[in-house]
Amino acid sequence: MAEITIKNVFKRYGDGFPAVNDVSLDIADGEFMILVGPSGCGKSTLLRMIVGLEDISSGDMIIGGKRVNDKAPRDRNLAMVFQNYALYPHLSVFENIAFPLRLQGKHSNEEIRKLVNDAADTLELQEHLERKPSQLSGGQRQRVAMGRAIVRQADAFLFDEPLSNLDAKLRGQMRTEILRLQRRLGVTTVYVTHDQTEAMTLGDRVAVLKKGVLQQVASPRELYEQPVNLFVAGFIGSPPMNFIPAVLRDGRLELPFASIPARPEWTNVAGEGQLLITGIRPGSFEDASLVDPGKAGRGITFDVTVDVTEWLGNEQYAFVPYEAPTDIAAQLAELAHELDSEQMRTQLCVSLDPMSRVPAGGTATLWLDPSRIHLFDPKSGENLTRGSAMASSEPVASSNR
Amino acid sequence: MKQSRWWTIAGVAIVVYSFFPLLWMISLSLKPPSDIVSGEPQFLPTSWSFENFTQVFSEPLFTRALINSIGISLIATLLSVIVAMFAAYAIARLDFPGKKVLLSLALGIAMFPQAALVGPLFNMWRNIGIYDTWIGLIIPYLTFALPLSIWTMSAFFRQIPWEMEQAAQVDGATSWQAFRKVIVPLAAPGVFTTAILTFFFCWNDFLFAISLTSTNNARTVPAALAFFQGASMFESAVPYVMAASVVVTIPVVILVLAFQRRIVAGLTAGAVKG
Repeated sequence: MAEITIKNVFKRYGDGFPAVNDVSLDIADGEFMILVGPSGCGKSTLLRMIVGLEDISSGDMIIGGKRVNDKAPRDRNLAMVFQNYALYPHLSVFENIAFPLRLQGKHSNEEIRKLVNDAADTLELQEHLERKPSQLSGGQRQRVAMGRAIVRQADAFLFDEPLSNLDAKLRGQMRTEILRLQRRLGVTTVYVTHDQTEAMTLGDRVAVLKKGVLQQVASPRELYEQPVNLFVAGFIGSPPMNFIPAVLRDGRLELPFASIPARPEWTNVAGEGQLLITGIRPGSFEDASLVDPGKAGRGITFDVTVDVTEWLGNEQYAFVPYEAPTDIAAQLAELAHELDSEQMRTQLCVSLDPMSRVPAGGTATLWLDPSRIHLFDPKSGENLTRGSAMASSEPVASSNR
Repeated sequence: MKQSRWWTIAGVAIVVYSFFPLLWMISLSLKPPSDIVSGEPQFLPTSWSFENFTQVFSEPLFTRALINSIGISLIATLLSVIVAMFAAYAIARLDFPGKKVLLSLALGIAMFPQAALVGPLFNMWRNIGIYDTWIGLIIPYLTFALPLSIWTMSAFFRQIPWEMEQAAQVDGATSWQAFRKVIVPLAAPGVFTTAILTFFFCWNDFLFAISLTSTNNARTVPAALAFFQGASMFESAVPYVMAASVVVTIPVVILVLAFQRRIVAGLTAGAVKG
């Protein structure tokens, strides 16, 4: 049990490129912290710096009140689960789990057997103890790797994309398992992933990284509802937030497909005629004909031409193409590239009720709640409406759930 | 179906072709000396006899050479494998200046014509007094076996996922423990393969053995074969030479058969996803 404090940590490689750039992060004792970001954002590097497999160029790494910058991995008393499990193929499952205990050399054979059996019980590995890793399925190997981590009293668990090698169904199950295990053991956990579902469901708090720079650390709910900038807004949420160019003019926000009466929190932060990027989550739209009459008055309605629709049974997406000024379009394409995705055309993704019979290729009337619109500065990407009276709740305190 | 039959026939043809000299050697070693000079040569002996073998083993020339061969080959192999193991690990895992130079140099030594070295070595060995000794043969064997061993083993070490070692370090192992408890067991097939290749090289060498020895003191079997004589000057030495050849070929065949499975490097299966 220990808290982890990361203070102004840098990682520079030989060519001076900072893979991790001035990251400061406090991870409380027992907290489940997620490091998330697109590939190459430095999240794995940061994790490996915590465990000691990467040198720290500058800054302080403090675990349990002790500075560990110069300590070898084995002196940090952390347990790590690797992306490809890194099981020892020449040892049985039992010996794999017992490996860290045997290295400590302070347990008798009897104690080791008991500890390993306890861990195997927790992970339901009892019947596989005598087998070799090559005889196990992917999910079982994953559990063995976790067994090796939990068998000793490590100060913290570190996970490096542990589920990315599993198929989708197993991934969902193992995700729940990891969460249950962490809640039961109450051990400080740092978990690296590029999968935002894992980030949102597992973390007490989530740290979003971009090119080595920490963007925002917050609870999943706050990240979703109060993103600090375009990057975080675009990264969190699936399907991603729509980014639409807009201009504030004559007391109205002019979108390519609608004109909305300006709200005071918008006019406070943006000047007349200023070009803005609005961020609207697909879920903020609805089919106007299906909106609950009670809240219909809160929003505005407008007509659009729907290009295609995707019906998934429990949800439905409609895509609405629109024209954007070329410089904004180029910026949005750049943002999409940073987020590891690709934007072919400027289009609006709208999440509709599956009951909706919006015709593909036809015209539809959509409803939108303006209070859920975010405004971003196109130059800095900063969220101008963050913290204002949005539909969201108060920012969630960053502590254990 | 038809295609696979042709493959089988081709395979059998190749096996027969390559086994013929071996069979001939065995056949010759079982023939009585009179068969060799007979006017009507035939493949199989007229009468089967093991007399050649008993004769060969009663000769100190051969028994002494056999001891030399075994001793020199084993010592050279052991030393070469141990040194190569550490060197290959360093080359595969560590970053140090001059790594590329070291590897190319090793390859250069392996390609150096051995015959060109024999003359200078002969003089040098006589001057420093290790001519016709075990150590005098072990040193040149190491010189030529090491580059090969380093190259093969570093290829094996490179195949071992680095994460194995990092996992061991996080689990609390020192670098040495990680090397001994994780890397060496995983590299075992590579170590065995290298050891066998090195052993064959030392065991089969003729050039150094004939040039750097003069007596039974250090002469190995391939060199000793050249000194075999018949029971009398009217008798051919061929059956004895062949019997001795059979005796030295057997360890090689046994080694290959015994370690065939180890040579197949399937031990890392299951270490990572796959």
